[in-house]
Amino acid sequence: MADSALGRVVDGLDIETFLLCENEEEGRNQAFLLMKELGFLQADVIFCEYIGMGVRVRMRAVMNKPCHHYSWLPE
Amino acid sequence: MPLDPVHDLGLRLIKKALDEAGHKTILLPPDLSLDEILKRAAEQKHLDYILVSRTIGYGAAEILARFMDLAEATGLRKKTKIAVGGMGIDVKLAAELGFDAGFPSTTTPDQALSYIENRGRLFQNSRQTRIIRNKTDLTKGFSYKFHQDRTQQLLEDIADQILSWAKNKTSPGIERARIKEEILLCEKKGRSSDSSKIKHLRTRYLDLCDPEIAHSYLGQNLPSRTWKIPAQRVKNFQRHIRKLCSQLTLRNPIFLSQNPRLFVQIGSGSPLMDIVHMKICEAWGADGVITICPSSSARHEGLLNGLLNHEGDGTLLTFQNLLLIKKFMAKGTLWGIRAHRGLNSPEAVLYAGLAKADLTKLNFFYGSLGAGTDPARLVVDTLESIRLSAKFGIPFDVPSNDELGGIPTPMSFAGLLVMTKVALRLGAKPILKPLFCYSPWIILNEYMLDNYVDFNAAKIKALRAIVDAPLWVGEPAGFMTHTEDRIQSAVTTALHIELARSLAVQAVTIASTDEAYSRGVINLNPRLDSMKAVEATHRFLGQNQISPSPKADIWAEYLISKIDEILSSARERKDFIRCLHEGIFGGPNEGVYPGRAGRNTIREKA
Repeated sequence: MADSALGRVVDGLDIETFLLCENEEEGRNQAFLLMKELGFLQADVIFCEYIGMGVRVRMRAVMNKPCHHYSWLPE
Repeated sequence: MPLDPVHDLGLRLIKKALDEAGHKTILLPPDLSLDEILKRAAEQKHLDYILVSRTIGYGAAEILARFMDLAEATGLRKKTKIAVGGMGIDVKLAAELGFDAGFPSTTTPDQALSYIENRGRLFQNSRQTRIIRNKTDLTKGFSYKFHQDRTQQLLEDIADQILSWAKNKTSPGIERARIKEEILLCEKKGRSSDSSKIKHLRTRYLDLCDPEIAHSYLGQNLPSRTWKIPAQRVKNFQRHIRKLCSQLTLRNPIFLSQNPRLFVQIGSGSPLMDIVHMKICEAWGADGVITICPSSSARHEGLLNGLLNHEGDGTLLTFQNLLLIKKFMAKGTLWGIRAHRGLNSPEAVLYAGLAKADLTKLNFFYGSLGAGTDPARLVVDTLESIRLSAKFGIPFDVPSNDELGGIPTPMSFAGLLVMTKVALRLGAKPILKPLFCYSPWIILNEYMLDNYVDFNAAKIKALRAIVDAPLWVGEPAGFMTHTEDRIQSAVTTALHIELARSLAVQAVTIASTDEAYSRGVINLNPRLDSMKAVEATHRFLGQNQISPSPKADIWAEYLISKIDEILSSARERKDFIRCLHEGIFGGPNEGVYPGRAGRNTIREKA
C-alpha cells in the first residue's frame, strides 16, 4: 500500500466547505486558491453556490486517473 | 454502567442481548458519581465484567482516566475486566487508559455479547453477516400478455412488417459477430492464435472493420486516448485486489428481500478502476452493475482487442476487459452489458453471452433516433442481437429514449412496445425500461412542474395497463433532476428510487452524486453518497409507499391513447424504416434526427 495517506485515495479528494466572499466569482477564485494553499495545484470546482455572505463549495483534486498508474497499487 | 447524565440506550440494548443469552446483568442508572459506581461494584461478590458507556465526548478522557485510577486503587481491576464504548469513545484512547477493551460507536449488541462469551477476546476485522441474494431472473413470472386486443394486433402487424423487411438482410456487424464467435470458439478449444484457421478468420474479421480498428490488431497505433494496460500492472492489480477483497466487510443489499434490484453504471475508462468501484458498490449493497462503453466506439465498425484503457465516457468493450471484470465480480451480482446503439451491437451481445453476463440492452429506436446510427442498419443488427440474446438466454432491457431531444413519452413508449413485441416473436425476454427523467418534452409541457411523482407514476401505470412485463426504472432514476450539489443529488436519487419501489418495479439504476458533473469521471465516494441516501430514505419509509395523486391516472390514460395513435400511424405507413425517417416515433419536430453511421451498409444475404 502507498506510504502516504494521500497515496491511498482511490481516485479523487473532495474538499467541501463554506468560504466567506462577496459573490460567486470571488468564491470560486478563493476556492481554487484554497486548494493551492493545501498543495493541490490542479483542482476543479464541482459545486459552488453563493448564499448570503459566502459560497458553499466542493472542490476536487484528482489523485488517480482511471487510465494511469495508481498511487495505491504497488509497483 | 453509563458515565453520562442521561444516555444509556446503548447499554440497554446490550443488556437485552446479554439477558436473552442467559447472563446475569445489572444496569446502573445514569448520572451516578464515580464513588457511587465503585461502591455498587464492590457490593457484588462476583463481577466478571464492567461495561462502561460514554456518549458525550467532552471531558470523556478525564472522567475515564479518573474512573480507571479509582478502579485500580480500590482493587476492582484485579477481579473484573473493564471495557468501554459509546459515541464519546476514542478506541485508541481507551487502550491508552488501560481499559481491557474499547468499542467504537458502531458496535452492535451481538459484538458486545461475543466479547463477553469469548472471555474478553476481541474479534478484529469482524465481518458482518451479509444476506447474500442469489441472482434473479428479472423476467420470471411475467406472461407478456397484452391486455388490449387492439394494441396486441397493432404490434403484431408492425412486427410482421419489420421481420419481413429484414428477413434476408445482413450487415458487417452481423458478419463480424459470427466470425468473432468462431474465433473465440477456436481459442476456447485451445487452438493457437497462429493457427491457419484463426488467422483466416481474423483476416475476414479485419476486412469488415474500419481501418482504425483493423490497424490496432496488426500491431499499429491504437486509436487516440487508448492504451494497452501494461501486463505487470494487471498482475500487481490482481494480486492487490484479491488481498483487499479478502478483508471486505459486506453490507446487506439495500432492499433485502424485496424489489427493486439496485444497479450501478460503471465505465471509468479502465477495467481496473471499474473493478475497484464494482467491489465497493457490491460491498455497499448494490445488486448489479451495468458496464458502460464509450459512445465513440459505437461509431466504428469493429471492436478493439486486448486489455485496454480509454480516456472517455466509458470502458472499451473488449472481450479481455470484460473477462477481467467478470473475474472479480461477486457470484450474486447481476451484470448488464450495453448493446443498444452503434455498429457493433451483435458483437456486444455475443461478448455478453460468452462472458456470462446476465443482461444486455437493446433498442433500435434509441440508437437510431438521436444516438447516431442509421435506422435501417440498426434494425437489422438489433434483430440479430435479439436472436443472440435469446440463444444465450440473456434478457435485455429496452430503454425508452425520451431523454433525447424532445421525444414525447408516448412516442418513446410506442417504441418500447414495438421492441417488446419483436423480442417476443424472436423468443427473447425483454425488460421495459421507462426513464424516471425530467426530460425536455416534460419540461416544455410542464408535466413535472409541481412534483416528480405523478408523471413518473403515470408512466408505470400506462405500461402496466398495456402489458404484463417486467419494468426497470432508469437511467439513472431521476435523470436530469440532479445538480452538482451533492446533497440535492443524493436526495433526488433516493426519492426517485423510493417512488420506483412504491410502484413495485423489478429494478432501478442509481446515479452517483457526480451525475451532473460532466468535466471528469465519476468518483467512488459520490457513488456511496447516493447509496447511503437510498439506504437512509428506505429506512425512513420501510414498507410505506409514496402515493401519486389522481393526476397520475389521468396522465396514464392520456399516454395509453397517444401510444395507440402512434402505433396505428406506424402500421398504416406499412414501411417501418420510413416511419423512423419520417418522425412517427420522433423526428426533427422533437429535436431528434435519424442517425447516419452505417448508412448503406446493409445488403441482401447471399
